[in-house]
Amino acid sequence: MRPLVARFGTALAACAVFAFFALTADGFLAPYNLLGIAKQISHIAILAIGFSLALTAAELDLSFANIASLAAVACGMLVHTHHSPVLAVAAGLGLGLAGGLLNGAVVTLLKVPSLIATLAVAAIANGLAFLLTGGVSVVGRWPTSFTAIGRGVWLGVPMPVWWMALVALAALWFLKQTRTGFRLVCTGEATQAAALAGVKVKHMKLLGLALSGLCAGLAAVILTASLSSAAPNMASDMLLTAIAAVMLGMTMFEPGTPNIPGTLVGALTIGMLANGLVLLGAPYYVQDIVLGLIIIASVATSASVLTRAAFAV
Amino acid sequence: MAVVDEPVLRLSGVGKHYGGVRALSGVDLEIAQGECVALVGDNGAGKSTLVRILSGAHQPSEGTIAFAGRPVRFRSPADALEAGIATTYQDLALAPHLTIAQNIYMGGELLLRPHFLGLLDKARMRREARGYLDRFGFAVNDLDRPVSDLSGGQQQAVALARALRWQARVVIMDEPTAALGVGETRMVLDLIRALGAQKVTVILVSHDMDDVVAVTQRIIVLKRGRKVGEVVTARVSPSTLAHTIMTGEIPPEASAA
Ligand SMILES: Nc1ncnc2c1ncn2[C@@H]1O[C@H](COP(=O)(O)OP(=O)(O)OP(=O)(O)O)[C@@H](O)[C@H]1O
Ligand SMILES: [Mg+2]
Repeated sequence: MRPLVARFGTALAACAVFAFFALTADGFLAPYNLLGIAKQISHIAILAIGFSLALTAAELDLSFANIASLAAVACGMLVHTHHSPVLAVAAGLGLGLAGGLLNGAVVTLLKVPSLIATLAVAAIANGLAFLLTGGVSVVGRWPTSFTAIGRGVWLGVPMPVWWMALVALAALWFLKQTRTGFRLVCTGEATQAAALAGVKVKHMKLLGLALSGLCAGLAAVILTASLSSAAPNMASDMLLTAIAAVMLGMTMFEPGTPNIPGTLVGALTIGMLANGLVLLGAPYYVQDIVLGLIIIASVATSASVLTRAAFAV
Repeated sequence: MAVVDEPVLRLSGVGKHYGGVRALSGVDLEIAQGECVALVGDNGAGKSTLVRILSGAHQPSEGTIAFAGRPVRFRSPADALEAGIATTYQDLALAPHLTIAQNIYMGGELLLRPHFLGLLDKARMRREARGYLDRFGFAVNDLDRPVSDLSGGQQQAVALARALRWQARVVIMDEPTAALGVGETRMVLDLIRALGAQKVTVILVSHDMDDVVAVTQRIIVLKRGRKVGEVVTARVSPSTLAHTIMTGEIPPEASAA
């Protein structure tokens, strides 16, 4: 049994952050502010869940933010040019998945370590996004049938929050209840042992990276719909935020392992920090400093899988 | 030991070279179901090479292998496992952070019906995992403990329980006691005897002559990639065996074939 402090220490810290802002920042506890935080973190959380799934197979995906930007501009441009929203959504999801599959193919077939492979694919996605748009944003009055994906509200809760919950539940169910999910975990935990036991570890690594790409595509569609606009670099600053959420999540529940509940609490903590700091009047760039510190502290305390993935060749 | 039945494993002229390096040549061998044999030899004698061939990790360069009377050609460890030959490796090949039950079923999970949904039948895996461990007299109260919490001997029990889960007819153990203390070693020797009692064939690779003499019935001696002979365990002492391995000369009174 792992000691309780190790499993729930950071979750308690998240509660402390919550309590701190509740007491000090005016308006933090207002329902619209809390729902606002949940809505703000939803894309981050979906990206972070994707990153967690790749990391579960011991692969790093540093391309998800740029893939999300590319998927967003493709999706936005299709809506903008009066194509069917269904086509636009399919293009966003499809591009995300394609980016993930490309990562997976480079890692498993060409045997390029994921740290390098995904960095290269990130550059390619970034270039393509600028190429597609000529560097400018697409903004417009888009049909509500599309924007409702991001701006709709159901039972008083914004749609992005529902999407986040759906993705989190699906990922959790996949990892805990399905054979493929279990084999993804085995692949990351002990690649050689899994291979000796008959697990097709290359397929699992490909799957992990593909799922990360798919999550990036989904986050991109939701983001595009909620902003009614798309820009070729719109998700780039989410890279660090989402990774910080996962790293923070790896310090709780199942320490040392990327895990979905941890990733959610991590994203929520970071969302609260960002929101609370703004309410307290701290300048924007303070968030970056906090994020950097969170990543260092989290990885220093528990990052076995990550370190293995980062340096595996 | 009269071998009446068809041997579970029969090797004829099995050899292996790695590029220009000859690691194994012309090995003929028959092993009966439920027998416990040792594979011994000096460093570089070819023991690990033979194990890798039998476990499907490597393919022989020449010769044939018959398993349960049928010629086989394993392309991967998964092939061999599927056929019924399980191997426990020196470094155990367990996933340290996964639980006991998860390790036993890794790669061979039990599924809920209908199977094509791919949903894990966790309750059944837990129940049956407990059953396999019971057969080694290893009573675990918590199957959800990570295997890194277990002692070396208990980890061997988990590795062997996995072999039972595959209904392995042959279990190959490469240096199972190398990293263990006295008490732990005794536990592993008991595990090997328990396998024998269940009619599982064991092939033990070990540098420890006391262990070899304690549990096996027959000893196969390799030297520089060739089988130099076989010894009936009951007719040798650990010290004569050590001498045999060094010189490659089988004492005539102990020779098995
Ligand atoms: N992958 C390989 N490539 C090249 N040569 C190899 C390889 N594996 C083994 N050999 C060579 O084959 C011969 C037999 O090696 P093997 O590992 O089978 O011996 P062993 O009996 O297991 O020795 P030890 O007791 O040291 O484990 C040695 O000369 C070794 O150098
Ligand atoms: Mg060896």
